[in-house]
Amino acid sequence: MIRALVITHGNIGAELVRVTGLILGPVEGLSALSNSGKSLADLRAEISAWLAEGAAGGATGAVIFVDDYGGSCATAAQLACGHEPDRAILSGVNLAMLLGFLTWRENDEFAELVGRLVRKGREAITLVGGR
Amino acid sequence: MPVVLARVDDRLIHGQVTVGWSERLRPDRIILASNAIAADPWQSRVYASSVPPAIAVSVVSLARAAAALKAPETAAERVIVLTGSAAEMSDLAHLGAPLPAVNIGGMHFGAGKVEMLPFVFVDRGDLDAMRRMLSAGLSLVAQQVPGGREHAVGLDQVEDMESRL
Repeated sequence: MIRALVITHGNIGAELVRVTGLILGPVEGLSALSNSGKSLADLRAEISAWLAEGAAGGATGAVIFVDDYGGSCATAAQLACGHEPDRAILSGVNLAMLLGFLTWRENDEFAELVGRLVRKGREAITLVGGR
Repeated sequence: MPVVLARVDDRLIHGQVTVGWSERLRPDRIILASNAIAADPWQSRVYASSVPPAIAVSVVSLARAAAALKAPETAAERVIVLTGSAAEMSDLAHLGAPLPAVNIGGMHFGAGKVEMLPFVFVDRGDLDAMRRMLSAGLSLVAQQVPGGREHAVGLDQVEDMESRL
């Protein structure tokens, strides 16, 4: 199974994960992590522990969603992931991306899944009404 | 090279710096001063990639940072200089880097550290470094973001924290 971790400022990630459960029901392999009150080194260590847990459990890939490019979440994720294959870090997480991840992860190849998630996230940002 | 912000922040380059302080101070360059990160080209690239394209970035050793800050040929640049610890900022000052008041921007909780402020946790090494900077005539101001409350950190605060370790 491909696992995912949503790393954000404050409780954004935890709420996104909670809401996916409200829409799709309970899911496995999707969790959240906040950077609140943490040094970059501690955040990196927590991400590394999550990656190691997945590897030990036979996960076939890891997708890390972060809320913003260029922040501590993204930097810590990059440092934790290193150059290992089947790990991807996507910024700008939104609900559509998480729902897409949970829907497609069973059947898509890892690279295909990552590409679809980027496209899905961008498609979700659109002017839906108003003038 | 006028230093518009000399900041101790264990997250180094992140939103509070690249958006918060940079929008306020409009730096031309961000210098990340760290011997460990500068020695690792891949880590250097990771940190550098977090800086918006309009701002130049240098990831260099403390010695190279001090030399750059003293160089007359770069005097026109407005610079934010970052270190990940108070000890590194103290070392930078000791190397002759011309620094304004030192901004204590983020020293997060860790083992053996006690809380000075909600965003400043210190251990003996941090307090020793603060003492060295104060003794060198630098003033220390804890402030996380522009417009946030400024907390002057003087010898009284350092001694108070030492008594709590």
